[in-house]
Amino acid sequence: MRQRLLPLSAALIAAAAAQDGGQLYTSYCSACHGPDGKGATGGAFPPLAGSPWVQGDPERAIKIVLHGLHGPIDVFGRTYNLEMPPQGAAIPDDQIAAILTQVRASWGNASPAVTTEMVKATRAANADRKTAWTAPELLKLHPLPVSAPPIAKLTSRIYHGDWTTLPDFSKLEARNIEEENDGLIDVSHGDREDLFALVWEGEIQAPESGTFTFRLDADDGARVLIHGKPVTEVSGIGPFGTNRAQNGSIDLSAGSHPIRIEYLEYMGQQDIALAMKGPGINGWRALSQKPVQPEKPTIMVAPTADRAVIYRNFIEGVSPRAIGFGFPGGVNLAYSADHLAPALIWTGEFIDGSRHWIERGQGNQAPAGQRVVKLASGRSLPPEARFRGYKLDSAGNPTFSSQLGKGFLLDAWKPGSSAELVRTLTLKDGATALEIPLADSLPTRLLAPGVWQLGDTLELRAEENTAIELRDGQAFLKLTNGQPVVLTYHWK
Amino acid sequence: MSPLLTSTLCCGLLLSAGHAQQQSDFYVREEIPIPPGEVMELGSIALMPDQKIAVTTRRGDLWICTGAHGADLSKVSWSKFAEGLHEPFGMFWKDGWLYLTQRPEVTRIKDSDGDGRADTFETLNSDWGINGDYHEYAFGSDPDKNGDIWAVLCLTGSFHAHSPWRGWCVRITPQGEMIPTCSGIRSPGGIGFNADGDVFYTDNQGVWNGSSSLKWLKPGSFQGNPSGNIFYDQAKNMGPRPTEPNDKSRILAERQRIKEFVPPAVVLPHAKVGQSPTAIVADTTKGKFGPWEKQLYIGEQTKSELQRVCLEKVNGLYQGAVFHFLGGFEAGIVPARQAPDGTVFVGGTNRGWGSNGTKPFTFERVRWTGKTPFEIHTMSALKDGFELTFTEPVDPASAGNPASYAMDAWTYIYQAEYGSPEVDQATPTIAAATVSADGKKVRLKIDGLVQGHVHHLTAKGVKSTNGSPLWHPEAWYTLNEIPR
Repeated sequence: MRQRLLPLSAALIAAAAAQDGGQLYTSYCSACHGPDGKGATGGAFPPLAGSPWVQGDPERAIKIVLHGLHGPIDVFGRTYNLEMPPQGAAIPDDQIAAILTQVRASWGNASPAVTTEMVKATRAANADRKTAWTAPELLKLHPLPVSAPPIAKLTSRIYHGDWTTLPDFSKLEARNIEEENDGLIDVSHGDREDLFALVWEGEIQAPESGTFTFRLDADDGARVLIHGKPVTEVSGIGPFGTNRAQNGSIDLSAGSHPIRIEYLEYMGQQDIALAMKGPGINGWRALSQKPVQPEKPTIMVAPTADRAVIYRNFIEGVSPRAIGFGFPGGVNLAYSADHLAPALIWTGEFIDGSRHWIERGQGNQAPAGQRVVKLASGRSLPPEARFRGYKLDSAGNPTFSSQLGKGFLLDAWKPGSSAELVRTLTLKDGATALEIPLADSLPTRLLAPGVWQLGDTLELRAEENTAIELRDGQAFLKLTNGQPVVLTYHWK
Repeated sequence: MSPLLTSTLCCGLLLSAGHAQQQSDFYVREEIPIPPGEVMELGSIALMPDQKIAVTTRRGDLWICTGAHGADLSKVSWSKFAEGLHEPFGMFWKDGWLYLTQRPEVTRIKDSDGDGRADTFETLNSDWGINGDYHEYAFGSDPDKNGDIWAVLCLTGSFHAHSPWRGWCVRITPQGEMIPTCSGIRSPGGIGFNADGDVFYTDNQGVWNGSSSLKWLKPGSFQGNPSGNIFYDQAKNMGPRPTEPNDKSRILAERQRIKEFVPPAVVLPHAKVGQSPTAIVADTTKGKFGPWEKQLYIGEQTKSELQRVCLEKVNGLYQGAVFHFLGGFEAGIVPARQAPDGTVFVGGTNRGWGSNGTKPFTFERVRWTGKTPFEIHTMSALKDGFELTFTEPVDPASAGNPASYAMDAWTYIYQAEYGSPEVDQATPTIAAATVSADGKKVRLKIDGLVQGHVHHLTAKGVKSTNGSPLWHPEAWYTLNEIPR
């Protein structure tokens, strides 16, 4: 009975190998995850090599393959926001088992085989699942495997006090000391939600010698010291998950190094996150329970000194047919081609293209600048009016065109002297007169002849005889065919 | 047998078959240099006068390239013609204007003052809905013989019809009117004409699409995904809303129930052939790219390939075969365009969807060397089998031997779930193979053809008269109809 000597795991691998997992991986997976498991196109897609997401509890990966994954997922400290399409209706259980067995045993991964029975059982247990999984959902059900505590010999000390900057802990006495055996710092190590501080101490491992970068984010303040030397600090009082997060670097030799993290919470929300990267580490290694917000790339879209720039995409606060113009001098407009009206104007930087230009580009991008004013949230013109595009002058300034029957409303915009946008409205052909709302989202009042206050920050100026009428605190402009009206929007 | 003897024998066999055919013998693929520092994720390619070529990027730029036809590609030059376009997938030049299908509208643009930059952006039609969902793509065609632009509108998130006309094909007339034309679309990757001017699009595997496929946009037709059928009440020209399809059925069965249902002309079997089919180009260059006149080239984003399709109409429906053709492109192919001199231009992007190509984006051209590969040129259905036409005379002994061929067949579950496994497997048998007198055709008599199935032919044993095997010995024929 020689077969009996075959180890059980080898028998399972042999069963799964009836399907060629490598070949199936190449057919179904490698275009995105890469032939080397590192994520295709230089890591633009989530890596599987070394990824804890495909290791440990096999059910996590089986579920992702069966039902897909929706929304952001962090792998090695980078957030990916793609869509993993569900494969359960297309790929049979034995093939899914073969693919996952292959993935879990390749590129340094060393997790046990996945059997057809496991896939079948997971499929049966989730037969009602109609939507893709999200990363937080999966993490709750199947936490990622942790091989060794990222911070060895981790202890936490709690202090109470009313601080807005990190205190001198050497002069304070800790109320409590705890061992944190999972080796991850977490704000829950405190015993209250406001007016406290924490100090963690332990040892981190540098797999190889070289420069290591530490990324720290905190609400409120925190700093990292290695060998007693400050490496990075988030100072003062402020929120988590913003551009307050800081990076700092230090050269370390291969081996163990003492780390100390000091943290304070003043009032309100509290949180801390820390990660390290460097030679021998795949992406970012989390040193905290909470993942660090990855550095957000920005691709600022900006006008040149003498020409406006256009950004046509989904802009926060504007209907989907948004057309953004960034003018020289730091004034900006987002026109709605659905509403045939200016939706937003703002000052400062124009817009960050990174949301739409990296990965698939989900969601709306808010203006990058300041003093954002919403001029219109609804339609300015009757339902039969149609958007007919725009013309640019030699400086790239637009004149938008809307058709009304046989006539057109021309709506031209250009930057004014400073913190000003100048708008010229012209009714031509067709109707003899037309009334349009000037700011359906802002209370308007007359300040002086030809000067109106729009909301809190904006002044509207026009020639004195301009037919602007206030009704219920809103401004309406009456246009006469062939007589252009010039309006100036001025930020105070 | 000693190891030495084995290897000698192998070498002998290889030598007798001549050197294996490879792409570079027949087609020269070259990357066209792009403006330094620019992110050129191409969405569309248009031919302009004076051999200039316009391309649009997913970021919304429009660049014009001079010299892309030239012998020395290091001499190409670029000028930026427009920016701030909303992810155009469709562009052509006509009478001094560039026409664009942008995500929210069909637009035509031109440079009125002659400074080399577009200054006039005329919206022809913006009557379809978008709600801010990134997946609500719009792919637009060249003008048809009436001047209409056909646009296929992806479902919201590729699943739903949350905005007007999602899941539809609409026509935009030269007067700017929008005409709902076909329903049933899921997630298109490209649109184009066959050589006779009928319109086709590629649709991606997903809900109600067991596999990706090439589909015929017969006006008035339903293409299979019922999500967008809620808009029939606003499309009086389309008649009443079609019967709702049964879930977990077969297309062949549902065609009997839903009279508007036009089945995919050519299924591009998932993972084997098609994973993300895109552009459609009909070769009308009369042989300037090889002997493929009137055949189609289909872009394949995931596999970074250009595949070849022969089509025929049987009992009123289009059907045909797909073959692997050109591969090795640097990124996932989305737009493709053939110039009158035969050159095929392709553009690629890997953003959001990965490909076998390793670069984030690419612009390439392919030219024919004048040497024709030994290929199955055409596969046509007969009432009792298939007729194969080859690009050169076959060796009658191998091509006349039924054992040189193998066939298997399958279909997919037509269902609301995402994709489908291959089901209802069958193995039709090659009963006889008869070589024509000129050696260019083989008539395969086949027992067990299955209507509605993809018929996968392998012809690994077939040799040309000089002993070469086929460059691509496989074909996948979608047998919607068996000739009567």
